[in-house]
Parts: sequence; structure tokens; C-alpha cells
Amino acid sequence: MNAMKWLRLAVFLTLCMTVAFGCAKKQVETAPMEQPAAAQQAPAAEQPAAAQSGSDLASSELTQKLNQAKAEITGGRIFFDFDKFDLKPEARDVLKAKAALLKQFGDIRVLIEGHCDERGTQEYNLALGERRARASYEFLVLLGVPASQLEMVSYGEEYPLDPGHDEAAWAKNRRDEFKIIK
Amino acid sequence: MTHTRPLFRLVLAAALCVALAVPAGLTLATRAEAAAPLTIDIYGPGQSKLKVALAQPLYGPDANATAPVEAVDLQKHLVHNLDYLPFIERIAGGTILGGDRLDAFSGPDVDFRRFQLADADLLVTTGWFPAKEAGSWTVELRVFQAFTGKLLVGKAYYDITGPQIPRLADKFCAAFMEKLTGHGEFFLATLAFSKRLGPRDKERNIWTVGATGRDLTQVTDLKGLSMSPSWSNDGRYIIFTHLGARYHSLGVWDRATRQTHQIKFPGNTIIGPTFTPENKVAVSLASRGNPDIYLLNHIFRKEQVLVQNWAIDVSPSFSHDGTRMAFTSSRLGNPHIFLKDFTTGEEKRVTFNGNYNTDPDLSPDGTLVAFARRTSEGHRIFVMDLKSGRERQVTFGPGNDEQPAFAPDGYFLAFTSNRSGKYELYLTTRHGDTPKEVPTGPGEANFPAWGMVPGQ
Repeated sequence: MNAMKWLRLAVFLTLCMTVAFGCAKKQVETAPMEQPAAAQQAPAAEQPAAAQSGSDLASSELTQKLNQAKAEITGGRIFFDFDKFDLKPEARDVLKAKAALLKQFGDIRVLIEGHCDERGTQEYNLALGERRARASYEFLVLLGVPASQLEMVSYGEEYPLDPGHDEAAWAKNRRDEFKIIK
Repeated sequence: MTHTRPLFRLVLAAALCVALAVPAGLTLATRAEAAAPLTIDIYGPGQSKLKVALAQPLYGPDANATAPVEAVDLQKHLVHNLDYLPFIERIAGGTILGGDRLDAFSGPDVDFRRFQLADADLLVTTGWFPAKEAGSWTVELRVFQAFTGKLLVGKAYYDITGPQIPRLADKFCAAFMEKLTGHGEFFLATLAFSKRLGPRDKERNIWTVGATGRDLTQVTDLKGLSMSPSWSNDGRYIIFTHLGARYHSLGVWDRATRQTHQIKFPGNTIIGPTFTPENKVAVSLASRGNPDIYLLNHIFRKEQVLVQNWAIDVSPSFSHDGTRMAFTSSRLGNPHIFLKDFTTGEEKRVTFNGNYNTDPDLSPDGTLVAFARRTSEGHRIFVMDLKSGRERQVTFGPGNDEQPAFAPDGYFLAFTSNRSGKYELYLTTRHGDTPKEVPTGPGEANFPAWGMVPGQ
């Protein structure tokens, strides 16, 4: 009976490891061609770690990569002109990087927040913030990010990044922010 | 002298005819004037002022005795209220020869002469009588035409105690204003508004306050941002937009239960809900990818698309008869005010000046639209006559003046302004009279919305 129990446990652990590494590899395989350097290096780092030291180390590195990806996704804001919601070239570049990470880590879900500066009026700014959030949302979907990974909300002018009342502050406040949905 | 005041237009017209025809016409004119009803046209041009004197309150059974302390309180509230009426100019008691303390508050014993000499048009008297129950009073308030001694308004209020004084002042002033203008709703209306107050100023909740600052009350207690309130026509519900951590929702506060419900919609964008004259709700939702205006039924389900366009369409506002709706649309590039006529289905642009016109509010009769225009000096409130297309600037800052809202009388306009350094509520009129602040306590106040609550 003891021998049977040990055998079952061994089979179970093997299956668990297979599933875990298999999933990680599957995510890697779906990564797009346009990935930024950091994202492209991720799979190469994962495989040796998994082979070297078993589930604890692999899980730890995976978590580290995941956290790094989350930090990169939330770190880069994009900015807009006054009363505009079209994406500037630099904003498209930021979104392309986010799209790569989102496609690589399919479990990450992101809330896109649309924000405005204080110069408009509040109800119109809520609508403008919606258009700004939607501009990012649609671009990410166009790049292949599943819509199920994305949500969006407009906060209009309610949460300025910079409380100042000059063009420098307003330029920072006309933005999309990206938050991880927990 | 009062006989030269343009407010007596009919009388003056008659007097002029007589004066032209008869050299001694002035005497006849004075007599004609004495017999004419004293009214004021708050909607017409050339609005003038009436001079009003408040006599000191008297103790009814003995005019030589001192009136109760509640009388002093009522006097303060009357003065406070009357100061909100741009067409009233109060005469200070100290400027009246012989003083403002009378020997009688009614009947032929009232000494009108001293008020005539002070050029007063109207005289307000108050008499206090002890009621059967200790600590309560019967209060008699009268308004006389100072020149003739004619009684214009006479009201008695029974079993009045101290806490009822503010409400009594509102009711009397409503009757007073109605007698003069045909509309007294102002003093009985309740403003709902959004107030930023709470941890790190990150929360907005819905509050209510009387138009002159009374009965300030918080009605919602939600985390996040509650904004754009609108009263139902029966005064039972307030709907509003709520911005939470991830979601917008339509908030519905029920005055009967004091409970708030939140409803989410596909698209996660809910902007500027407003009750229609039929007690349904019009609101901007982004269900189809951009904010369009929908009509919701009585259970808040989509019933009809009111405005659908590729652009932003927000801030619906309806005329009282429901045939017209003003709204903001960016369909031509910049935000402008548009008008939808439900009888023809036509949507037409009505603002052609400036390049940022938002926050429209239709007057109850649907003839005027107030809106905020972004100028080089900040946002300013304009009022446009929809028939002629003529517009008039009615606020002049400093800072930003936004979110105009016509009172039920179509005369007063509430708006929000940061002229003091923070956003607070103010009142002006369709003519652009000097703005007066509505006291709302600490915290920023925005989105004034008028409502008539039963029993107030």
C-alpha cells in the first residue's frame, strides 16, 4: 500500500509540473513578433530555470516576470492634446509594448482609465475621457489583445495627476492610465 | 417718488395719457397709481427695484411690550431671504424718520407716512400672539403698499415654535414673491448638488439645500464620486452618476426610503442623467462605442435612442412640455449646443460663437437655453433666446462659471463657480443680476439641480 501511495504521489507531482511548465510555454509561444527586448527575453530565462531547480524556483521566476510585466504595463501612460482623443505616434509605441506583454501574460487584466485636464466642463470631460480610454482599448484589441483582458473607465477631470493650473500640469493630466485588475 | 417708477407700466401709460391731455394730470395719475395693483415683471427688460421696509415685530396683545426672541430670529430670516431678490431693495430701519418701530402692525393705526417719506414702496409688519401651548406662537405677517396703505399680502401662521421659524420665513416670502411676480417657487425649491468632501477630498456625495442656504443635508454616503444629480418631478427621487473604482453606475436615491440603489450599464459610461417631464430618465451611455443619449423607462431599461451620432452627445435638458431637448454634441468637431425638436425630429445647432459651448439647460418654457462657454477668461454663462438666436452673457467670473440651471420659475439661474478659489453654488437671474452665493458649508459644490419637494 505504501509503495502504491508513493507511486501515485510521484505521478501527481509529475503531472503538476508538466501542466505548470506547459502553460508557461504556451504563453511564450503566443508572443507576437513585435515584442520589445525585455519581453522577448522572458521565455529564454524561464526554460533553463525550470529545468534547473524544480517548481519553487520556476514559480518564483515566473512571479518575478509577471510582476515586471505588470510594472511595465502600469508604468507607461499615454497623453493627449486638449479636447482630442486621437493616439499620437509615441502613444502608439507605448501601447504596442503593452500589447506584447498582455498577449504574453494572458492572466493579466487591465483597467484603462481615461482622464482630462480641468479646462473643460465635467460632463463633457467624462465623455472625452471615455473616448480616450476607448482609443487605447480599440488599439490594443487591434494589436491582438483579447477584449476579455481589458476594461475601461472614464474619470474625466476628477483625478488630476498634477494639481497645478498651468499648461505643464494640464499636459500631464490629459492621459490614459493603465491599472492591473486584481 | 413712486409715480415715476417704470414698474407701474400700465399706470404710467395711463398717467402719461392723462398728463398729455390735462395740465393737472399729475394729481389724476397719483390717484390712478394708488388704485393700481403693485406687480413687477421679472421676465421683461428694464427690471426695476421695489423699496421695502420691515417694521420691527410687535407683541400682539400689547404693542409696548417686547416681542419674543423668536421674533428677532424671524426678522433675520426675512432679511436674509429678501436679500436674494434682485428686484427688492431693503430700507434700513435707521434711515426712517421716526424709526421703524410702530404702534400697530395692522389696520388704520399703522403710521404709513414715515415710510412714504423714506420713499418705501412696501411695508412689512409682524405681530406675535402667544398660542395656547406654552412656547408656541401665532404669527401674523402683512405686506402693505406704503403709499396707499393697501394690504397686498396677509398671512397668519399658527403654533409656531423656534425651529419652525426658517420654514415660516420661506413660506411667507414665497407668498410675497408670488404676489409681486406670479411666481413664488424659489423659496420652496430644493437644490440637489454634488459636494466634494471626505478622505483626501476624493469623494463626492449628493447633498440638498434650500435655495437660500437652509436645511443643508447629505443624502448619499457612497465611496467614489457622485455627480450630475437630477430630481424627479414629484420630488421623490434623485438620480445621479456615480464613478466607482472600476465602474460607472446610475445612482437612484429614494426620498421615501432614504436608500440609494446603483445600476450598471453595458459600456461602463454613464453621463449626465436627467429626469424627463414624464418622469423617465434620459442619459448618455456608451453602449455602442461612444456616448449617445438614451431614454430609459421607469425601471431604468433602455426604451429609445434619443440622439445617436459618431461623436460625443451628452447633457440632455428638457423643456417642461417635453417637446424640446437641448444637449451638447461634438459632431462638428468642437462641443456645441444642439436642440432636438421631438415634434419634427430635427436636431439643429444653436451656438455659433466660441468653440467650446457645454452644459446646456433649457428654461421650463423652452424659449431660452443657458450654457457655459469657454472664453479666454474662463467659462462664462450665456443665455440664448432660441427664437431670435440672440445671446447674452449673464456671468462675468472671475474664474470659471459652469453648469447653469434654471429654477422652476425660469427667472433664477443657479450655477457653480470657483471665483472664490473653490467651486461653490451661486444664484443669478436670466438678466444677469449680481450673483449671490448659496451657503453650502465646507467642501466644493457643483452640479446644482432644482427640485420641488412636497411639503417644503
